[in-house]
Amino acid sequence: MKLLLVGMNHRSAPLALREQLAVDDPVPVLRKLVSAAEVDEAVLISTCNRVEVIVSTRELESARLRLRSLFRRELSTVSEISERELGACLYEHTNGDAIRHVFRVASALDSMVVGEPQILGQSKQAYHSAVECGSSGPILGRLFQHAFATAKRVRSETRIAERPVSVARVAVELAGHIFEDFRGKRALLVGAGAMIELALAALRDAGLESVAIANRSVERASRLAAEFGASAHGLDELHSLLAEADIVLTSIGGNTPWLDRPTLERSLGERAGRPIFVIDIGVPRNADPAIDALDDVYRYDLDDLASMADRNAEERRAEQARAEAIVETERQRFDGWFAALRAVPTIRHLRARVESIRSRELEKAFARLPLDEPTRESVDALTRAIVNKILHAPLTRLRRDAEREEGMAQLEAARQLFALDDDSDATFGGGDDRDDGDDRDEDPESR
Amino acid sequence: MVAILQQLSAGLYLAAGLSAGAGFTWARPRWARVGVGLLAAGALAHGLSFSLLHTQQPPPPLTHLPSALSFAAWVGTVAFLLLAWRARLTGLVALVAPVAFLGVCAAVWGGGDPGESTHGAGSLPHAHVLLASAGLALLGLAGLAGGLFLAEHRRLKRRRRLAGGGTWPSLEALDRAGAFAVAVGFPLLCLGVLSGALWQHATLGVYFSGSPHEIACLLATAVYGVLASLRFGARKPAPRLAASSVAGAACLVLALLGVEWLA
Repeated sequence: MKLLLVGMNHRSAPLALREQLAVDDPVPVLRKLVSAAEVDEAVLISTCNRVEVIVSTRELESARLRLRSLFRRELSTVSEISERELGACLYEHTNGDAIRHVFRVASALDSMVVGEPQILGQSKQAYHSAVECGSSGPILGRLFQHAFATAKRVRSETRIAERPVSVARVAVELAGHIFEDFRGKRALLVGAGAMIELALAALRDAGLESVAIANRSVERASRLAAEFGASAHGLDELHSLLAEADIVLTSIGGNTPWLDRPTLERSLGERAGRPIFVIDIGVPRNADPAIDALDDVYRYDLDDLASMADRNAEERRAEQARAEAIVETERQRFDGWFAALRAVPTIRHLRARVESIRSRELEKAFARLPLDEPTRESVDALTRAIVNKILHAPLTRLRRDAEREEGMAQLEAARQLFALDDDSDATFGGGDDRDDGDDRDEDPESR
Repeated sequence: MVAILQQLSAGLYLAAGLSAGAGFTWARPRWARVGVGLLAAGALAHGLSFSLLHTQQPPPPLTHLPSALSFAAWVGTVAFLLLAWRARLTGLVALVAPVAFLGVCAAVWGGGDPGESTHGAGSLPHAHVLLASAGLALLGLAGLAGGLFLAEHRRLKRRRRLAGGGTWPSLEALDRAGAFAVAVGFPLLCLGVLSGALWQHATLGVYFSGSPHEIACLLATAVYGVLASLRFGARKPAPRLAASSVAGAACLVLALLGVEWLA
């Protein structure tokens, strides 16, 4: 059994191509994949940064061709992608490398923002879709459970996800140092650009409910307000909005700061000492640095937030080495289990073969000997115990050594010694009584 | 048994302080949470030691200053645990636990003066010590919250690196804790001063004898009265209120301990 992962991510493929191949509902794709003979199990992960398929297969080359064809012809929503274009963007990992890749993805080490929390949920969602449609079996099931456990270890044993690295998330973290929680708090967003939208999304994720958006163009503010369930206002309402706001997020054009000390002092008089957190992500700045002198005002501009985000990113990079070491340890552990699977068919085959010999010989003996039922049961148990005791040591050894490279040679030797690849029972302990005589001839003590 | 429980609680308070301190130094929020658990265990052992005091023959005098300090430490710890139950105040353990440790140490190794005579004063000495100690504990807690508020406020204003991990108290939580402690602690302190005056009258026939302890306590209560009116009257900016809590707590410590020991 082999593992094969084929996919593309934000480093290997441009956004346009990833968009073209993104899969909303993986179930039909997975069903089709596992209906083919060359794929036993399959899981598909599709996020805005990656599209990846991992399969377990007994025919690696056929599965590789099948997956390349999937990416080239079936996933594309627009048109068929050329082999050349695809070749430059797709990566492939097999066995140990595929295991490592899945563990790194789940642990957010392969993400655009290392340590981001969303990918673990997305990986779980992808796995659950595969379980629901029956495309994930014991091997991928174990792989993903192990990946989730690895991700949990990485989160709890390193500080890789402790501090935010985006400007919007840093702003939310800072707000958490000022306010106990976001329930009952009101945010005022001045402007309606992309940065404001990102920050609004982060504040919403953190639990902020009441948001007012003020913009020169009320129409544009209304569009954003409708998307996030906020209220839209013109800039003429800023003063009254400022008196009610706990968090002010501003990013609006203009050469002079609209939020100056006199404006804020007027509003602070109506706030009964409640603090106000000003996040100024406008360039040039929208808030006059002179407001820092006011006691209840905490102002952070884009440079402050960016430098904090950079420091956090630096800290994450330092933690990444520890996280990679955890991933490598877990990969080796899983790889051991996966390699041991190679011994399973041989062990199962050998047990079945020996059991068939035992029951046949027992039947012959019972036919010749006049034994009552309790005695027969005792003899049956005796032979079973002898067989188990004889097989215990070699089977344990085969199972243990299968995790190592030399274990393959032992498996092959076992198959040859016990003629497991020959389906005829006569080859080994088969049918007639002559075999018994042959066995006796081979017995050194009988000679 | 009482001494064993007091020593146990001192050990638990110390462990709580070290665990919380290490948790915040090395950004390990779990250690800080362990600190809260240890503090709660210490408060339990400490509370049990008080309940066992009644079984001693003769019972120790309540007016013994180390015992009063130990009681104040216990009230402060319990008040903190109640506040931490409802708000994100885990970070404050790093300050509360060492103070509680010192309070218990005072009782364990205090010894010395057995305290003033309580003969003929009924339950007034009990009321005075319990009320004043509880008031001191809560206003001390307000002072600690105020101190931490000022440190955090300064870091935010100067854009310094902030503690992470989600257990560090927010400015809002510290301000609320301070407000609660002052709202409950100041009336208790006033009642403590009042019951002290009544005790004085019952034993000496005067309400005010002009001792350094009485003068300092009256001054501290008056100062705290001004600070409480600032907090609950015309609402001032939170950093100023925090600074006033620190100043008020310092005044009280000076009045109750400094004057006592200097005398």
